[in-house]
Amino acid sequence: MRFLKVLGIYFYSAFLIVIGLTLIAMALIFTFKSSLIQPEAIANLIYYFQTSHYARIIVGCSGFLLILISSWFAELILGRFQKEKTIAFPTASGEVTIALTAVEDLIKRLTVSFPGIKELRPDVIASKKGILVDLRIILKSEVNIPELTERLQEIVRSRIQEVLGVEEPIIIKIHVAKIISLEERAKRKDADKEEEPAIPFSGYGKI
Amino acid sequence: MEPRNSHTDLGAVKIHKNVISSISASAALETEGVRAIGTNLTSRALEFLTNKTSSGAVNVEFDRNDEVKIDIPLIIKYGYNIPTVAAKAQENIRAALEKMTNLSIKDINVNIQGIERGNP
Repeated sequence: MRFLKVLGIYFYSAFLIVIGLTLIAMALIFTFKSSLIQPEAIANLIYYFQTSHYARIIVGCSGFLLILISSWFAELILGRFQKEKTIAFPTASGEVTIALTAVEDLIKRLTVSFPGIKELRPDVIASKKGILVDLRIILKSEVNIPELTERLQEIVRSRIQEVLGVEEPIIIKIHVAKIISLEERAKRKDADKEEEPAIPFSGYGKI
Repeated sequence: MEPRNSHTDLGAVKIHKNVISSISASAALETEGVRAIGTNLTSRALEFLTNKTSSGAVNVEFDRNDEVKIDIPLIIKYGYNIPTVAAKAQENIRAALEKMTNLSIKDINVNIQGIERGNP
């Protein structure tokens, strides 16, 4: 399987290089009007592909192969990106990797215990220094910011340590992006109410 | 996915990789704290095309000594300790596979893809 992946990478690179060279060659032809490739030759080739039964089979199979190789390539690249965004630790039966998006989901759920937070967007990065948590929050106006942020840092840290069981240092940075005033919240509520369409004949039949 | 052979006096018994992935998925789902088996692009496409519920993105590989290596993505319920759930899932999968297939298991790699989705 690894051999196929390596083959896929080389093939894809070669294919892209060929396309690039063809485009450059075409550009040069148009610029210098040289006779490297005649447009008639390309037309003849397309005509041959359309008329010959075997050529059509070969072209179809090549297309199918290209799609397969492309999907392998995409999986490989995506897999590599995914591997980078995980926390991993070995166990007796194998390895456990935790996606950082899972940690982000976990942090998002903590907003329930903070009525002063309107919105929370976490960004978790795992580095050699430890786990870096960037929290971008939108607050309601009546909250005490230093008190709330301190409590949030403590809860996020203890929750991550408790759920993930990691001993690495957890650095939590909080960025208060916006504070929504009571007036603004009331306006938003009114806007939401206005946007709700009235159901026709909704009161019909009610006495 | 090629089936694995084991020979008996009466003939050969073949166990397909799909069977191993199904057993692993079922054993993992029986673990307390596991919400679902994670998916990837291929498994989602297969589910869409065949209209069948597959065993998610469980990947089964055999090495030269016929030892099994399993990569299983999991989605965990909110509120559970992830390392504990992952270790329990690994134990359950190992026990189920050893009981049902007699295969020797090398590695069971668990990948926690997410925490149960829903309103935070």
